Amino acid sequence: MATYDFIFDRLGLGDWCGERVTGDAPMTMAELLAGGKSQNPEAGLSWSDVWNVPFPSMDALNEACPSFARTRDMTRGVEDAFLAVKDGLKVVLDPLTQPLSWLLDGALYVSHATPWWIMIPVLLLLTFWASRSLRLVGFVCMTLGFLGFIDHFNYAMETLSIIFVCAALCVVLGVPIGIAMSRNDRLQRIMIPILDMLQTLPTFVYLIPLIFLFSVTEAKLYGIAIILYAIVPVVRLTDLGIRLVDKEVIEAGHAYGMTKRQMLFGVEIPLALPNIMAGVNQTIMMSLAMVVIASLVSAPGLGVLVLRGIRNLELGVGLIAGLGIVLLAVILDRVTKAALARVNAASAVPRH
Amino acid sequence: MKKILMAAALSVMAAPAFAQDCGEVSVAEMNWASASIISKVTEFLMTQGYGCEVTLVPSATTTAVTSLAENNEPDVVPELWVNSAPLFLELEAEGKAKTAANVFSDGGTENWWVPDYLVAAHPELATIDGILANPELVGGTFHNCPDGWGCRIANDNLIKAFDFASKGMEVFNHGSGETLAAAIASAYEKQEPFFGYYYGPTAVLGRYNMVAVDMGPYNAETHACNQTPDCATPGISSYPAAPVLTVVTSDFAERQPAVFDLVSNITFTSADLSALLAWQDDNGASAEEAAVYYLTQNKDTWMTWANEDAAAKLAAIFP
Repeated sequence: MATYDFIFDRLGLGDWCGERVTGDAPMTMAELLAGGKSQNPEAGLSWSDVWNVPFPSMDALNEACPSFARTRDMTRGVEDAFLAVKDGLKVVLDPLTQPLSWLLDGALYVSHATPWWIMIPVLLLLTFWASRSLRLVGFVCMTLGFLGFIDHFNYAMETLSIIFVCAALCVVLGVPIGIAMSRNDRLQRIMIPILDMLQTLPTFVYLIPLIFLFSVTEAKLYGIAIILYAIVPVVRLTDLGIRLVDKEVIEAGHAYGMTKRQMLFGVEIPLALPNIMAGVNQTIMMSLAMVVIASLVSAPGLGVLVLRGIRNLELGVGLIAGLGIVLLAVILDRVTKAALARVNAASAVPRH
Repeated sequence: MKKILMAAALSVMAAPAFAQDCGEVSVAEMNWASASIISKVTEFLMTQGYGCEVTLVPSATTTAVTSLAENNEPDVVPELWVNSAPLFLELEAEGKAKTAANVFSDGGTENWWVPDYLVAAHPELATIDGILANPELVGGTFHNCPDGWGCRIANDNLIKAFDFASKGMEVFNHGSGETLAAAIASAYEKQEPFFGYYYGPTAVLGRYNMVAVDMGPYNAETHACNQTPDCATPGISSYPAAPVLTVVTSDFAERQPAVFDLVSNITFTSADLSALLAWQDDNGASAEEAAVYYLTQNKDTWMTWANEDAAAKLAAIFP
C-alpha cells in the first residue's frame, strides 16, 4: 500500500499501472526490512504516517504504480541517449579534435627531447621578450633552477608545455568568439549561460562524457577538458573589452570612413587589448588550475605527483609538487602581467 | 504538533531497542564496488543480528590504514589489499590491528590481461613472450597502473625486467583507475586489441572475458624486490594471489568478541563476488541493493557466519 495510490486510482490508470511483479527491480534495504514485519494496511492514519509522507518523487510514485519510471530509469535513459548519439558525435568530433592530440604530443615530445641547457635559456628569452624586465628574468631563472635542483624540472616542463598548447588554443578560439559576441547581442545572450555553465559545472562531470567519446589513451582527452574550463575568461573579457571601447572613438573612425575590418583591427582590438590580455592571464591561470584534475585522465606533469601524494598520503611528495605548481603559477602570472603592463603603457600613448 | 513530535521521537527511539550490548562500530567503506557491497553486508549483519550502531566511513586503502595507525579508527576495515598498504603489517606486528579474515577465500587476483578474442585469433598471445614478440598484435601499448597504486611499482620493475623499450612495447601510464577500466571496456566492446594490468574480483573482470597472461612462475624473492621502488635487480615473476583481508583494531576485537567472530566469518569466493558485481552492473543497482540481493540469494551461506542468537534475529527478517 503506497502513499500515492489514490492519484492513479482517481485518474483511472490502475490498468496501465498493472500489478507489481516482485523481484523485477533490485530491492532496497528499506524494502527488505519492511518485508519482514507483518503489515496492517487499513489501520487508519496515524501521526507518524503523516510525519513521514514521502515527497511525490519518481521513486515514490513508482511504488504506487509500477509502470511509472523510477529515477534510476531516468538516469539510465540519459545514459542510453548519450550512447545513442555517441557514435555520430564521434565521427564529427574525432577528426576535428585530432590536431589537439598532435599539438599536445608534439609539445610533450619537445619538452622531453630538449636538454635543460637549451630549454632554460629559451624560456628566459621568452620571458624577456614578453616582459622586457631583467629582474623578472632573474626571478624566472632562479625558480627554474630551483625546480631543476629538486628534480622536478621535467615534470614542470610537461605541465608547462600542456599549458602553453591549451592556453594558446584558448586564445585562438576564444578571441574570435568574444569578438563575435560583442558584435551580436543575440549571440551574447546565448553564449553567456554556456560560459557560466562551463565555469560552474564540476570539472569531473564533463570528464565522464569525454571518456566515452574519445580513447582514454589520447592526449586530447585532457586537452579538451582544460580548454573547456579555461577558455571562459578570454571570451568574456574580449567581449567586454570591445564593448567598452569609447563610442566617440568609434564615431571618429566612422567619420574617417573606416571599413568594418579597419575599425576592428585598427581601433577596437588595440583599445580592447588590455582587457583581452587580462583575459589571457586568467585563462593561463585557470589552465594551470586544471592540471591536477587533468592528471586523473592521464595528463603527465606535476599533477601526477599531487595525485600520488593524495593516494598514498605521501605528504612531502604532494606538498612539493603543489609548491611546484604554485611557482609555475607565479612565473606565468608575473610574465603575463608584465606583458599586460607593457600593452597598457603602449596603448596609453596614442590617447594623449 | 506536539503529538507529531512525540510520535517522531518515539519512532526514532524504538528502532535501536536492542543496541545496548554492541554499541557503536565504525566500518570503513572503500571507494570501489566490491568493498562497498561487503561493507553494506557487514553493516546489515551487525545492525540486525547484533544490534550494533554502525557508522560507515567512506575511505580508501591508504587513508583507512593511516587512520588505523594514527587514530585507532575505523574499528573494521573490510577488503584491505595488503600489498597496497604495507603499513598494516607494521600495525599487526605492534599489536594495534588484527587480521580478522581473508575476505576472499581464494585471494585477490592481480595480473596482466589480454581479451579472449585476441587469444582465440593468436594463441601465442597467452604468454608474455608471445606478446613481446608481436607487440603490434596487442596494440603496441601496455596499460599501466596509475601512480600511487601498489601495482605501479611492481609493474614498473617488471617492465624493466621484460625490457619493453627494446621490444617496441610502449607504456601508457593511466591517471586513475576509472580510465584504466574505461580502456578495457571500450577496447572489448569494439573488439580492439588491449594489453594491460587489472585486478579482481571486480565488475570489469566479471563482465569481460579477459585472459591472464602467463608471466612465468612466481618467485617470492624476486616479487618482493619488484615491489620496492628502488629494486636494484628487477626480475621476472608473476603476481601471486594477493592477500585481501578484513582488518579490525585490537581494541575492537577485545571489546566485542562476538562481533569479531562474525567479522572473521565474512568471506566470499572471487567467483561469487564477480557474479554479484556483474549483476549489479547489469541492473544499475546501488551497492546497498547489491548487498540486499546477495543477502536474499545466499541465505544459507551467511546464516552460518552469525552466532545462534543473531541468526534467530536475522531469520525473522527473511520470511
